[in-house]
Amino acid sequence: MDALQKLMFNFFPLLFLFPLAGLLLNVANGRFWHKPIAGIIASSAAGLSFVVAILQWVALLRQPDGTVIILGTWLQVGTLNVPFAFQVDTLSVTMMLVVTGIGTLIHLYAIGYMYGDPGVTRFFVYLNLFLVAMLLLVSAANYPLLFVGWEGVGLCSYLLIGFWFDRGEGGTGNANAGRKAFVVNRVGDLGLILAMGLLFWQLGTLTFDDVFAQATAVFPVGSPLIVAITLLLLLGAAGKSAQIPLFIWLPDAMAGPTPVSALIHAATMVTAGIYLIARSHVLFALAPVSQTAVSLIGASTALLAATIATAQFDIKRVLAYSTISQLGFMVAAIGMGAYVAGIFHLITHAFFKALLFLAAGSVIHGLEHGGHSDPVTLQDMGQMGGLRQRMPITFAVYLVGALALAGIPPLAGFFSKDEILAAAWQANRAVYIMLTLAAFATAFYMGRQVWLVFMGEARSETAVSAHESPPIMTIPLLILAALAIVGGGLNLPGVHTLGHWLGHTLGHGELLSFNATVALTATLLALLAVGLAYWLYGRHPLGAAATDPLTQRLGPLFVLFNQGWWVNEMVEWGIKRPFCHLSTVLAHSDEAIFAWAERQLVHTVQRGTAVLRRTQTGQLNWNVAGIIVGLLLIWLLLRFS
Amino acid sequence: MEFVTPTINILIVLPVLLVAGGGALLMLLELFMAEERVKQWAPTLAIIVLALAFLQTIGLWGQTHTTFTPEGSSPMVILDNFATFLNVIFLLTGFFTVLISVNYLPRVGLNRSEYYMLMLFSLSGMMLMGMANDLILVFLALEVLSIPLYILAGLSRPRPESEESAMKYFFLGAFSSAIFVFGIALTYGATGSTALPAVLAGVSNGGALALAGVAMMLVGFGFKVAAAPFHMWTPDVYEGAPTVVTAFMSVGAKVGGFAAMLRVFVSAFGSLGQTWVPAVAVIAAITLIIGNVVAIVQPNIKRMLAYSSIAHAGYILMAVAASVNSPDGVSAALFYMFAYLFTNLGAFAIAIAAERKLGEGVMLDDYKGLAKRSPLLALAMAYFMLSLTGIPPTGGFSGKFFVFRATLEAGLVWLAVVGVITSVVSGYYYLRVVYLMYMYDGEGELHTKPALLTAVALTVLATLVLGLLPGAWYEITKQAALQGLQVLAGG
Amino acid sequence: MVLFIILAISAVAAALGMLFSRNAVHSALFLVLNFAIVAALYLTLNAPFIAMVQITVYAGAIIVLFLFVIMLLGAEQLRGVAGDGGVWQRWLAGGLTAVLLISFASILFQGNAITPASAAGVIDTSPAALGLRLFEAYVFPFEVTGVLLLAAIIGVVVLSISKKRGQQ
Repeated sequence: MDALQKLMFNFFPLLFLFPLAGLLLNVANGRFWHKPIAGIIASSAAGLSFVVAILQWVALLRQPDGTVIILGTWLQVGTLNVPFAFQVDTLSVTMMLVVTGIGTLIHLYAIGYMYGDPGVTRFFVYLNLFLVAMLLLVSAANYPLLFVGWEGVGLCSYLLIGFWFDRGEGGTGNANAGRKAFVVNRVGDLGLILAMGLLFWQLGTLTFDDVFAQATAVFPVGSPLIVAITLLLLLGAAGKSAQIPLFIWLPDAMAGPTPVSALIHAATMVTAGIYLIARSHVLFALAPVSQTAVSLIGASTALLAATIATAQFDIKRVLAYSTISQLGFMVAAIGMGAYVAGIFHLITHAFFKALLFLAAGSVIHGLEHGGHSDPVTLQDMGQMGGLRQRMPITFAVYLVGALALAGIPPLAGFFSKDEILAAAWQANRAVYIMLTLAAFATAFYMGRQVWLVFMGEARSETAVSAHESPPIMTIPLLILAALAIVGGGLNLPGVHTLGHWLGHTLGHGELLSFNATVALTATLLALLAVGLAYWLYGRHPLGAAATDPLTQRLGPLFVLFNQGWWVNEMVEWGIKRPFCHLSTVLAHSDEAIFAWAERQLVHTVQRGTAVLRRTQTGQLNWNVAGIIVGLLLIWLLLRFS
Repeated sequence: MEFVTPTINILIVLPVLLVAGGGALLMLLELFMAEERVKQWAPTLAIIVLALAFLQTIGLWGQTHTTFTPEGSSPMVILDNFATFLNVIFLLTGFFTVLISVNYLPRVGLNRSEYYMLMLFSLSGMMLMGMANDLILVFLALEVLSIPLYILAGLSRPRPESEESAMKYFFLGAFSSAIFVFGIALTYGATGSTALPAVLAGVSNGGALALAGVAMMLVGFGFKVAAAPFHMWTPDVYEGAPTVVTAFMSVGAKVGGFAAMLRVFVSAFGSLGQTWVPAVAVIAAITLIIGNVVAIVQPNIKRMLAYSSIAHAGYILMAVAASVNSPDGVSAALFYMFAYLFTNLGAFAIAIAAERKLGEGVMLDDYKGLAKRSPLLALAMAYFMLSLTGIPPTGGFSGKFFVFRATLEAGLVWLAVVGVITSVVSGYYYLRVVYLMYMYDGEGELHTKPALLTAVALTVLATLVLGLLPGAWYEITKQAALQGLQVLAGG
Repeated sequence: MVLFIILAISAVAAALGMLFSRNAVHSALFLVLNFAIVAALYLTLNAPFIAMVQITVYAGAIIVLFLFVIMLLGAEQLRGVAGDGGVWQRWLAGGLTAVLLISFASILFQGNAITPASAAGVIDTSPAALGLRLFEAYVFPFEVTGVLLLAAIIGVVVLSISKKRGQQ
């Protein structure tokens, strides 16, 4: 390690300190300052953090094997040693660049989007806090530290989904959405905790390098324990990255402000699960069963969510299901061992999905500030139409994002999606077919969305009075659009810049050759899907009160898609209700009997004798019976153990 | 017959004497001073007594002493790092209880100097729980701990809830004490002695009789620490007692029970370890499940915290069960109790600030909009709730971490799984408080006086420190566990 | 041994009589009888001091207190308080008692139940010896008992004062 590199690594703590300082400044002085200042402080903090990430990248360019930076001791107990240690290698630096880079753009955009909102300072505090947690997650060098970041981003997500907690269905809809996200994520966290417990139990360490070094020696390939560990990790990843069956929280999470949807629920936090699996690739390599499970879950999520997205009317819900679907692509990729393809898609997806969300936000913002502001119809694509003339920049960038997502060459999405499809072609044909179908649906629903929102005639007063957003919002959009166009250059077939770069961490060897058949099929299918969308929505633009032509074409299937395959309801009836019932029943057996007896007393007996009588009504008897049963239980356990 | 003076080193029991003497002194003061003056000075005097006892206790850290050693027999009292550490917990509990009581008692019309008297007596009992080296003394300490609590629970008599609380606690407490004494008697029958070293020597040959003794003593301890199925008194007693008393007993009585339980079970019954571990583990699992699941449907914060305290007893029991096969079990239990002390008392401090009148403002719905009315207190409450759930960086997380680790080390994987799952469940009801505070509007004033705010600030700070730098503190509990928790024969 | 069997049977009979008697005064008197028989058992075990304490404290003081309370409350006749639990609660209680009895009986029939350890306890139980032990070995518990009683006394005062205040 040369001196210059060392110097640059010395700047590493600043990566966290900048956003931390930003949020502290905003907490301390937020209420005294003029509101936009909070946004400027937060954005500068994010921008400076991005500069630090670039420094780390430059340092790695000189010597790409990476290093571990230890900042201090956190837990040192017996055999367990968990330092504040950070992994700076090509994988984590890539993630840092994405998080801080896209994060900065979204911070800037949010200055405009949140302008005039009374809670704007609180918003930027949460946003900076999220950056700190997310950076902790991607740079931690051991599982416990990663877990702290993991919980931290979950907390921020919860706070930001419920940011407008007084809005939404019945005044608490948004708050409920936040809670749903939190609870569902806790299910995933359970998997991560248990996996950590098993790892520590078997290996006695939780530091990445040691775990991976020892795992190959301790666990034979396919041993039940490593399968259990990796499946538990998969459960954790499925929670964070919204995979079957834990994806139900993400569509509801769209209740948060749109910059949040772009940053947390599209570009960064939801990719934490992909990062977790990619980081633990050594473990997954030992468990082929789990790998197959990962790729199947990813592929089926991709297909399921894509079908749902075709039948949504809320502009943000389409994008939310699309995110779930694209995350499914990434999960499927890393499940097949195509880590570079997965991370590559993660990066390009961050570009174009952040772009799409922000552009959708721009649409909502343009409608909202046109004088009509009913939040329900603001996001209803049925009420839009003809925004092309009124919001030209937004239209242009949206078109770029949509084409990139649909996988039309030479935009970014084409290259990354093509790599995943090529990998699937080699590894697993079932996965390949599911993903191809999902890609077809993707191109279709994006075409549908563009025509519904931007083409044809305005279908409501709100849409007529819409206008373009201010430059502070459109400039980040243009930058992201540029990235979405050229992003594919990161890993061109045959050149494999990203492949070589990540190879230093994930192992070399995964340099897929360009598969012309796959690429051609995918492109043709995408064009076909766009044509189909034109045929349905473009030839005869929708009138003001017309129903979606898809309703008739698909019939009951449309309802199935529109309702999201009723997964929400299944969880509600299959898990949540029974659990609540169990809880109530348990509580009843514990106290309801006595509550009833108490009520009787209150009505009939004078207070003076109440106490004496109460000893006769069964309450104490019941308690004593509990003690006796406990004694018997202990006695039996002692005798027969 | 000759009278032979036992070896007595009064400095060893000085902290206990100071605390109990402080109580007696308060009583004497009433003879010489007007009642109003005594009430005015009682909290200050209690703090002074606790501070003196604290200094003496800290001074004894790192040393192992025995005292009241009769000729040719084992000492009655033992003071090692284990007992010293627990004494620190008890004295801090007393300290925080005084801080949260000072303004609460006059506000709800319960300002009586007897309150501090009884609290100090109860504290002296708790301290003896960790220091006892003889089953007779364990039993007496248990009663000294309990009887003042029975009375304190009924302090707001003639409120029916308070009377019910006191009566129920008393009846069931007496019942469980009877079982406990029966257990001591059977143990004596099996081993021929009540001195812990002699019990240790004889218990493995005691046969079924000794086992019956173990079972009955486990019931007695289980009742004190509110483990299921001996927990049924807890919600009613916690709800009916004045909130400061609830706060005091939710920490003091529980830790007191565990203090003696660890000494008796881990040391004196250590040779029967493999026999009683399954029983304790099963009790722990039942406790975890009942406490965490039933807490979900509680509409009252005191009942919710009661079930929560049952659940936390379950986590500590996990550590107790682990202590036989893992060197980390005892220290994990100590650390957990240390973190629980701050978190729970902090949460109760805020519940006290939110209580409008006696028994009013204790429903969960009363916490709606707390974030708007008092952002800092709401933040502190949210932090305590996170700590009780076990989310980093909090003392509660560190405690759970150590407990789960010890449980895994001891090979009780199934128990650790139950613990993790139930702690995930617990997030539901703890976070509901946060949710109510931040997501709704509501009204009602908060009673924040400097003393209470000091308590909140200190407990937040301690929880934070234990969450961020648990390693150093764990080393201390480790020392307490290693250079302590023995039973000493003397003579 | 014969003496023991007679005493044991009559002790159990007295206890059952106390439980099943409908008249509270009869119950209390059965309890006196039970205490007295247990005192006699202590005598056969060569523990005269404990036997005397048993008579004076329990049969004397406590039972007299019981009788006073019963008379004052006028609760000689216990009315049939079936409680809300009804019959099934009794069956539960009966079942639990049976299981408990069986499990403890199993101790007795276990071969190694009573070990020689308990036989070692041939202790001088004369009052003088007991007194010495109280102030030698058990001086600290003795002191602690003082604190315990003090707390109990304060408790009685506290609770009765608050009752007066409530009535005012």
